[in-house]
Parts: sequence; structure tokens; C-alpha cells
Amino acid sequence: MNTLKNKMNKYVKQTEFWVFLIILVLSLIIQGRSGAFFANNNLVDIARSMICPSIYAICALLAFVSTGPDVSFPLIAALSSYISIMIAYKTNFDGPWFVIFLVGMVFGALMGALNGFIIVKYKFPSLIVTLGTSSIFSGILLGAFEAERMDLPETLQRFGKLTLLAVKNEKTGLGSSLPMTFLILVVLYIIAYLILNYTLVGRGVYAIGGDEISAERAGFSVGKIRFGIFVINGMIAAIAGLSYSVMSMRYLPTEYAGGEMVVIAAIILGGTRLTGGVGTLKGCILGTLLLTMVTNSLILVGISVYWQKVFIGGIIIIGTAIPALQTYLNKKKKEVKAGEAA
Amino acid sequence: MENILSVKGIKKSFGGVHALKGVDLEIKKGETHCLAGENGCGKSTIIKIISGFYKPDEGTVEVEGKDYPVMTPTDAIRAGIQVIYQDFSIFPNLTVIENLAFNQVLATGKKMVNKKEFRKIAEDAIAKINFDVDLNALVETLPVADKQLIAISRALLDNAKLIIMDEPTTALTKKEVRRLFEIIEDLKKNGITILFVSHKLDEVFEISDSITILRNGENVISCSTSEMTEEKFAFYMTGRNFDNKELVENKKTEHGEVVLETVNLSAEGYENISFKLHKGEILGITGQLGSGRTELSLSLFGLNKPTSGKIIIEGNKVNIKDVTTAEKLGIALVPEDRLTEGLFLSQSIIRNITVTRMDALSNKIGILNSKDVVRESAKWVEELGVATKNHEFPVGTLSGGNQQKVVLARWLANNPKVLILNGPTVGVDIGAKYDIHKLLRKLASEGMAIIVVSDDTAEVVATCDSAIVMHGGHVKGILENEDLNEAKLAEAAV
Repeated sequence: MNTLKNKMNKYVKQTEFWVFLIILVLSLIIQGRSGAFFANNNLVDIARSMICPSIYAICALLAFVSTGPDVSFPLIAALSSYISIMIAYKTNFDGPWFVIFLVGMVFGALMGALNGFIIVKYKFPSLIVTLGTSSIFSGILLGAFEAERMDLPETLQRFGKLTLLAVKNEKTGLGSSLPMTFLILVVLYIIAYLILNYTLVGRGVYAIGGDEISAERAGFSVGKIRFGIFVINGMIAAIAGLSYSVMSMRYLPTEYAGGEMVVIAAIILGGTRLTGGVGTLKGCILGTLLLTMVTNSLILVGISVYWQKVFIGGIIIIGTAIPALQTYLNKKKKEVKAGEAA
Repeated sequence: MENILSVKGIKKSFGGVHALKGVDLEIKKGETHCLAGENGCGKSTIIKIISGFYKPDEGTVEVEGKDYPVMTPTDAIRAGIQVIYQDFSIFPNLTVIENLAFNQVLATGKKMVNKKEFRKIAEDAIAKINFDVDLNALVETLPVADKQLIAISRALLDNAKLIIMDEPTTALTKKEVRRLFEIIEDLKKNGITILFVSHKLDEVFEISDSITILRNGENVISCSTSEMTEEKFAFYMTGRNFDNKELVENKKTEHGEVVLETVNLSAEGYENISFKLHKGEILGITGQLGSGRTELSLSLFGLNKPTSGKIIIEGNKVNIKDVTTAEKLGIALVPEDRLTEGLFLSQSIIRNITVTRMDALSNKIGILNSKDVVRESAKWVEELGVATKNHEFPVGTLSGGNQQKVVLARWLANNPKVLILNGPTVGVDIGAKYDIHKLLRKLASEGMAIIVVSDDTAEVVATCDSAIVMHGGHVKGILENEDLNEAKLAEAAV
């Protein structure tokens, strides 16, 4: 009984729990008002919309937990996708789809390495560095390469047409399908989960975010871990970028920029701490789910697109206020305790 | 006996500043060796070199006869060197288990996390000092004392041969210091060598077998503790001779009229306190933690509202309802924790000194006269002997003693009638402590009435004309003149 209570207490203290609660209440409200939320096509639609932001969320999580904000992932995604697609065209490549993904990941890794190098070597704040490199990548993409909308190579198109699951709503006749890229998301999360929780490098990500100097004293290679994180972020961004073009069946160079803010908002909602050291993959998924639900499903209850933005803003503020409120309440509690002890 | 650690001719500079100018340090196996010196003497730098955190520019580090030309933190841990830093070197965002296990697991070069192994390491670690704590708790939710015990038990893991404790008693209460010393004695019995870094005289003499003193990055002396005396210790650390006789001789038995008087004053933390404070008198209020001494001083500054009784200033009954009122009545309080309560660490010395004088230093529409501000600040920097090259520097760059002088300067700038100091020399090194005591005597001879709230009996004896001893919120005794000595104070405090 006591342990159950303890467990409950532990859950209640986690931000993830509250986000889950909000999701539950919101979905029930939408279902109650429209009767369409739990329809199979809506659920699949939400899952589909979550794919890219959820992959990005890993980048944002790794950066925030260990170092600070990374805002360059959308442009790394755009530029590395463009380069790998162009290479495929130039070489008339028609092999398996994942080769193009691997090429993209190599270029993503290089761009991430540039971020990592500047941040680790010169100890510049990650926000400034990634803002700067974002701008550089954007200039290269749109200025130097003059990237434009284009169709995808055959192999990517074939990959894009594969579906994991297709559903049709009996009542409305609306259908929806879940693309194979969903599997990429699942695999990435499993790998990330295992690394973050079961390897020392993964724990090091949290350790250097908690206290950099302590981490160095304990024997973590702070610089190497940090550099590695930005390289990996580049690779993950490339995967997300190519997944996005695969899902939209075209390469759309201008659709990437600006995606970072919603992703960052989602992971902060999911309990990632702005000051570093704290954040979970579970929180990433829940935060992304909440924001995707709001953008996708509010229209079901007749709330216009403009009001959605107000909703998203409100949720972000309330969501980030929860951890602050918890800290405040805990402090109060401690003060009362200290007062009693004295 | 052979040396566990032998450090020779270490030089290290940072951007042209020579932090260490050829330091030697020899520590014998199984002893408790004290490394002493004032702030900025290079103690922290030499620790960081021994633990592999800094690379020396010159010199050698030998552990158990093995030479380490390039020592990394991992090498140091493998060699059995563990450091307990002042900040405990913990990860607040992680669990107690991970905090305890990381060092050892990383030292073995493992790549994977084995939860069972982590838990076992953590259990072993806390068992060494019979430390009871929830291993799954996040460290940021634990009290400070527990955080230190985590750092200590982590350092005690199997392979530790030399444990370096960097000013381990700073954040501890007297009871916790006792516990720490018991732990150190136990460790010694188990053959573990301790390097105890401290500038606190009594602790050094109690715990250590031998002493090395540094000053300005150079060795001053290394000898066994039995060959050292308190006077020599203070001299070697500071290069100055201190004579408390001068302070004691300047004490006065005759004082001017009563400036401040309390009659049966009661508030949260104390009851029925009556005393008189005269012009030119230094009154000590002493007693153990929780005796009500701090609460009483806060009431005089409007921070702890009295429930009954009277406060009389220069013959008039007053109601000190807040700090502004207290300041208007000419009362100043220098808080105990100067870092969190008294200073804006990132702001310049000038701004810190003049912040309470803004009204006097600005014109009618509130614009500061910057020349006056600089002049005022320069006056106090000189008067109090704040050791700084430039008073535009942030206060955070000063040593503890000099920070305390800046706090003093701020309150003195208002020219108070009653100056209350709460633990005026806590965390201050010997030289600055002596300077502050001398300054207090000078202020008193100029007519200021001063209250020193302190649990440092030596300080009370050296500076105060009379002392109130408190216990459990009541006055246990008032000592004056020749009755005011350490033995009588200790007797009265229990």
C-alpha cells in the first residue's frame, strides 16, 4: 500500500504525468464534442503527423539535456536532404532507399560536427552557434545551390508509397495510411532509449548537463560526448529531413525552416529542463503528441486555424509553468519542514 | 615510512599569473596531512594538479613511487586518489546510485550500465560510513549535509588510498564536524591517507599529523603538527605577526551613555532579554546554534518582530517595524552569510559600497553624481584596507575577508550609531580576521556602539568588552572585564 502510494507520488511529481493527463482530458473533450477523435483515421493521421517532429525532438532533447538549445536541425535536415537527393540524381542512383539516407546522414554529421566543433572548442553558447550555422546552411541551400521544389528519385518515391497500415473510417468514408517512415521513428527511439539509459556515454549526456565540472572530475570525456551529440544530431536531422520529403513525395526546400520552435516547445512541455540535465524520450513523445493533437484535432470541434495558435501558445505557457510551480511548492514544503525542525 | 604522494617543484601559471612557483608536497602513507594557507595561496591549484585536472607547467607527481608525467583525472582515480571538493562534485539531476557509482565504473573503463552493479557499488559506499539514504532519490532533493556524505562515501570506495578533502568543514555544523573527524579517524585506522585542506587553526591542530603551509604559491614550511604552535601557524600562513594583546589592552571598562536598551524583549526564538549597550562599547552576544542569538540581532534590525517588551534607543521607546525604520534610527546589520544576504557579487566594488548611499549621492531628480560615488567608495576602500587593484572589479573577485570589508564599508558609509555584526569573520582567513577585529576596536573608540553576534569564543574574548551568553532563547549569563575569558564562556554556554 505504502509502496503504491510512493509510486503514485513519484508519478505525480513528473511533468510527463501532467502532460499525459492533459492529453487524456483534451482527447475526451474532442471526442465528446465531435465524436471523431478516436476514429481510426484520425488516430492514424495524428501518428503520421508526429513522425517528423518526434524525430526532431530527439535532437532537441540531446542538445538541451547536455548543452543547451540546438536550433539548427531543420536546416541541417533541409540541406543534407537536398545534397543526398542531388547526388542520387547526378549518379542516376537506383539502389535501395536507405543508401540515400546514409549519404544524407554523412552530410548531416559533417554539419553537426561544425556545430560541435565550435561549441566544444570555443565554448560558445549553443544557441548562438546553431543560429549562426542555421543561417549559413540556409544561405548555402537557397543561395549557392538555388534549391527549388523537385520530385524525388524513383527509389525514394517507391519507399514513400509503402504503407505500414491503412485504415478507412466506415462512417465517413475517409481513409488514412501510416507510412514506413513510422518504423524509422520507432527504431530511432528504441536506439536512443537504450543508449541514453544503458550505456555510460548515455548517462554521461545527463551527467554533463547536471554538472559539467563534476562530470569531468568523474572521468567523463565532456568534450567528446558533447561533440558526439552534435554529430549525431546532424545525422538524426538528416533522417528527419529525408523522411519529410519521402512523406510529402517531393523535396520542398522552404518547408523546413521554422520547425525548431514547435519542437522545442514540445520537449519543454514534456518536462525537459531549460537549464539542462533533465528530460526524457517519453516526455518528447508526449509533448509532441499534445501539440500535434492540438494542431490536428481542434478543427474537429470547430475551432478555427487562427484560434489553434492561441491554444498552442496557451498550452506551452501552462505546460512550462507546471515545473516552475512544482519547484515553488517543493521549496515551500521544505521551508515549512525546516521551520518545524527549528 | 614511504611516501604515498611526492610532488616536486610544481609550477603553474594562468595567463601570466604564477599560481604555483615550485611547490613540493610529501605525504607519508597512512598519515593525516594538513595543507594550509590563506585564500589564493595555491591550495586549490595544487589539488587540481594532483587529481589530474590541471597539467603542471613544470615539476613531477609521484604516487607510491610511480611517476606520472601526464596525469589525467582517470589516472588519478586509478592510482587511488580521491578528492572531496567544496562543491561536493555531484550531479543534482541524477539519483544517489548514479552519483555514487559513476567514478568507479568509469575508472574500470566499462561502457555499459549494469543496474545491479551500480546499486551494489552504491550500497557498499554508503555502508562504509553507515550513511542512511534513499538510493533512488534525486540528489537535488536532499539536504546539504547528505550531499556531502554522498561525496565522502563515494571517495571511500574500495581503491581509495589518498583522500583529499578541500575545506570539508566549511558548510558543516559543529556536530557534523565531529562526525567527520570520527570518520577520518576510522579511515586512518584502515590505512587510508588523508590530505586535509583547511585554514582553520583548531581543526588543523586537532586532526592532522603533519602540516604543509603555502603562501603565494610557494612552500613556507612542512613539519609535524607537534612542532607547530598556533602563533607560528598564523605567522607562516600570513607572513605577519598577530598580537591579540593589543586588542585586549584597548578594551574599555568605562563607556558613554546608553545608546540602545532592551527591556524584557521577547520574540520568536528568545524570551525576556534585557541588556544595555553604551556608546563606544563592544557587546558580544554568544551561544550555540539555536540559542536565539541570531533571532535577537534580527529583532534589533526590524527583521523579527518582538511579541512583547521594549526597545529603547537614546531614551525613546521605538518600534522597529522594518529595515528602513532601523536604518533611520541609525542601526546597521552586517549579515552572517555575506554572499547571499549582503553583496551583489557580480557588481563592482564601488556599486556595492555606495548602494545604501544612493540618496545622499544623487541630486534632487535622482541622478547620481558619479564623481562623488567614486570618491566615497575610494575613501572606504582605503580606510578598511580592501585588497584590490581596481574598485571597478566585481566583488566576487575578492577573497572572503575582503568581501566582508566591503559589506562593512557599505554600512559604515551610513555612519550608524549601532553596528550589529553577525558572525563577522565566518569563513574569513586569519589576516583579514585580525584586520576586522582591529577595525571594530577603532570604530568603538570613535564612539560607535557595536554588537558582535558570534559563536567563535576566541573572537568574543579578543574583541568584546562584555558578552551575553544565550542558551535556549534565554540569557545564561553576562560576562564582563576579566571574567570574559574562553573558559568561562564555554562553561556558561552549556
